[in-house]
Amino acid sequence: MISREEINRIDYVLVIVVMLLVTMGILAIYSAGFDPVDKINSGLYKKQILWFIFGFILMILMTFLTYQSLGDYSLHIYGVLLVILLITTIFGKPIRNTRAWLSFGFFSIQPSEFMKLGLVIVLGKYLELRERDISHFRELFIPALLTAVPIIIILNQPDFGTAILFIPILFVMLFVGGADLAHLVSIVLIVIIATVVPMILTYREWIGAEGSNFILEFFKDVNLLLIVSGVLFVASIVCFVLHFFFVNRVYRRVYLPGFIISFGLLFSIAIQKIFKTYQKKRILVFLNPDLDPHGSGYNIIQSKIAIGSGGFFGKGFLKGSQSQLGFLPEKTSDFIFSVISEEWGFFGSIMMIILFAIIVYKGIRISFEAKDKFGALLASGITSILFFHILINIGMVIGIMPVTGLPLCFVSYGGSNLLMAMICIGILINIRSKKFVY
Amino acid sequence: MEYTSFKTKMMEAFRVRMYFFVSSVGFIFFILVVQLVNLQIISGREYAQKSRANMENYIPITASRGEIYDRNFKYDEKNVIIVSNRPSFNITTVPEKFKSKKKLQDTMRRVSKLLKVSYESLMQDMSNRNPWERIIIKEDVDFDTIIKIATNQNIFPNVDWEDAPVRVYNFGEMFAHSLGYIGSISSEEYKKLKSEGYKHYQKIGKSGIEKSYDRLLRGEDGYVRRIVDVRNRTEGEEVGLQPVAGNNMVLTMDYEIQRVAYDAMRDHQKGALVVLKPASGEVLALISKPDFDPNLIISKDNQKTVTDLSGDKNRPFLNRAIQSKYPPASTFKLVTTIAGLESGKVLPSRSYHCPGKYTLKGYKDHDFFCYETHGTLDLYWAIAKSCSVYFYQLGLSVGPTNILSYAEYFGLNEKTGIDLPGEISGFIPSRKWKYKTFGQPWYDGDTVNLSIGQGFVTVTPVEMVNLISGLVNNGIVYKPHLVREIRTNDNRKIIKSFKREKVREIPLSQLTIQTVKQGMRLSVTSGTSGRLGVLKVPLAGKTGTAQTRSRRKEDFSQHAWFVGYGPYEEEPEKAVAVAVLVEYGVAGAASAVPIAERIFYKLNELGYFK
Repeated sequence: MISREEINRIDYVLVIVVMLLVTMGILAIYSAGFDPVDKINSGLYKKQILWFIFGFILMILMTFLTYQSLGDYSLHIYGVLLVILLITTIFGKPIRNTRAWLSFGFFSIQPSEFMKLGLVIVLGKYLELRERDISHFRELFIPALLTAVPIIIILNQPDFGTAILFIPILFVMLFVGGADLAHLVSIVLIVIIATVVPMILTYREWIGAEGSNFILEFFKDVNLLLIVSGVLFVASIVCFVLHFFFVNRVYRRVYLPGFIISFGLLFSIAIQKIFKTYQKKRILVFLNPDLDPHGSGYNIIQSKIAIGSGGFFGKGFLKGSQSQLGFLPEKTSDFIFSVISEEWGFFGSIMMIILFAIIVYKGIRISFEAKDKFGALLASGITSILFFHILINIGMVIGIMPVTGLPLCFVSYGGSNLLMAMICIGILINIRSKKFVY
Repeated sequence: MEYTSFKTKMMEAFRVRMYFFVSSVGFIFFILVVQLVNLQIISGREYAQKSRANMENYIPITASRGEIYDRNFKYDEKNVIIVSNRPSFNITTVPEKFKSKKKLQDTMRRVSKLLKVSYESLMQDMSNRNPWERIIIKEDVDFDTIIKIATNQNIFPNVDWEDAPVRVYNFGEMFAHSLGYIGSISSEEYKKLKSEGYKHYQKIGKSGIEKSYDRLLRGEDGYVRRIVDVRNRTEGEEVGLQPVAGNNMVLTMDYEIQRVAYDAMRDHQKGALVVLKPASGEVLALISKPDFDPNLIISKDNQKTVTDLSGDKNRPFLNRAIQSKYPPASTFKLVTTIAGLESGKVLPSRSYHCPGKYTLKGYKDHDFFCYETHGTLDLYWAIAKSCSVYFYQLGLSVGPTNILSYAEYFGLNEKTGIDLPGEISGFIPSRKWKYKTFGQPWYDGDTVNLSIGQGFVTVTPVEMVNLISGLVNNGIVYKPHLVREIRTNDNRKIIKSFKREKVREIPLSQLTIQTVKQGMRLSVTSGTSGRLGVLKVPLAGKTGTAQTRSRRKEDFSQHAWFVGYGPYEEEPEKAVAVAVLVEYGVAGAASAVPIAERIFYKLNELGYFK
């Protein structure tokens, strides 16, 4: 089990930080659940307290476990979660048009939350096993597949926000696991080219931009694009083949950007052709909510008003007009940070940022000091789960990230996310308590 | 060995990557903090304002306009209220407050059904305006409807109501042209008056006293601050600024006289009259026919009434007392007389023979007729009998220059400056004008026509009453005005009182004044205004029958004039002057004099001549 020395190495700061965050969250849920017209509270905060108690127990359990056994059963965990996820997606009862929840009478569970952890465990184990070969491009195939399967299932629920979160987690783990930087950067560049070109064209068309130049004309001409990207593609293949026979860096310098640009352009054509204008517009609104101030943009505008109007010291507990009078949407889940920022001001929001920064910093440090590669990868994966939740959620409510419905870990109302986050903390503490001792 | 070196290399790479990881995370947290500083500290005040705008609904409280009383107003007594206000409500909305265009359309469809207004015109109205502007959906809504909307805010989101007192013109048509009416401020008016604090939703005086005294009558609007939630349910309400009711007004007009004058004019389709006190310029009554009911015009729903009235060929909106020019006809003989006496060309005893016509000698002889054969008469009798042949000859001997300059002295070609908007001036020709317009010199025939007020000269009724006023006042003319004083909205204090204002002083000799007055007196006792002789008060007057271009319609080809005053030969302070014009009346004596008679009778009854 656990030695005395290990107990001494339990990170109590992490536990205290988490408890502080959860407490702030519960207070905010209490405040947001209070209806000033009916003068009654929705009582959501009580449920959150129960979830927290349950999560705390799970966290302690995780602390006592030997984390290496997670690696031993990684495929089982991943497989079982995948099956549950599939069952949920097929048979789950739709809540707000999304089949993401498995209902057990008085509570329900969102398996996609736990899938994040399952993916981190299986990726950690795989990357540990393949440590020596991971710099080969072909080794990226299995991790990509492991990630793609849950993404496709979750996209079918459909839950765009959760699905998209898996991609940065995969990248962080590949990065930490030692994948070739050139490969990772190439993939990122292809994605950027493939999406940015059609988006710019749609945007200019939508706002009725005047004027044109030869670059825009080039991107608009699909046939020309096809020819250019085809030529590039063939040239890249030639260079790629040649570089096996003649060891010369020049070939690599040609085929790498060649592949990036040709794939990028081909995908951009595909996006232009496959997606309808309204779908592309929806993505644009997702990127820039100001384009649609009455639709999804409305939420972000209200959220920014809530946060901004909080000022330095906030409007006071239960006194935030934006949340109390209902201008703020989804105030107990996605927009909980806005509630806190409005009522506690800059003081409260910075406090929350600092607490999150402590968790992320500690996570990275634990990964750095982990006893083995699996521990390091597991800690990095867990940290990236928490970090990207924080970044995407806070980034969204303060208006610098697209609108995706992701909860803020420890703070937002929601049992599954809280349980998952508490398990994550338990595992982190576990890894630290067994850390590499010089 | 190889294994360790790989391991070390891996460890080194891992180290570098972890540093990169931690620094990118740090950088991203830094960006989050920067944006929070930007939102909460740099733009905090701006967002606080937006959050207030979200929850606060400023609903204007329209100030009630000042009440208007007649000249007999006495503080703390029961007074005749000519214009008052009645409490009422407007239904309004702000289109931008709706989350989507569809929601706005759905709500407006339901509201228009409830309020029975046209959905299409409502949406049309909205599309022409700034979406943040408060749009009035319906005016003058009863309390039951308000309750329906207030209790169903889920069905009628963002639909508000506000107090909006409705102006009530208690005597309808009777004061239509003197008081005017109010209406929604037009975009041109708004552009011009924005700087003076006028708001786009407000009402403004459109004509009459309502227009010329708008700033004094309007008061200052207040507002209610309503705290609302996202569904526009009211959380709390407080009066942010109490409205200040407009000042009350006391007219120089006398309700009783106006009523009698209105009744007397009832049978005539078109015409005008002005009654005023020469000693001060106070207008006691002012009528213009045809008229309209201001109560029907002031509401937003009565567009049809307004279009009908504006399209009416009789032009009911025209205030004929100040906005219409007529040939003065025989009443102008007074000017000819004055010019003759003042220039010393004739004496009162000068007599001419009237054989029923006068032949002007020239290249081709031309006959000018009199309506009767008068025989030989002196100046007094010429005025009394209104003998045209006498005045043809008098005019010729006095000369056009003298006559025209005396017409100008009396201001017959100038606005009188009455405190009503849109006054026009009469017209007095000149040699120069005639040459410019017709390319002809001034002929003797023109002088003949001029001396009996026919031909080119035209005057407004209010200019004619000023002429009498000048005679009565020994040459002094005061500016006609309809407002005596402005009082605070509780009537306690007088803010402004309008004193008499001298506008012209005509040097007239006593001989001239006495001669003309005696002539006019003789006209009442045994001349064309004979009907007035039966009244107990000695009166003086002059009739006129203007011929207009529509000569073909035999019976109605003439405008009937009467100008006069009473009492004759008393100090000017007791006098009241009257000018009556009936368009297409049969003849001066037959149409205009009975009207004047009823007015003088009432004036006497009310003790004006004492």
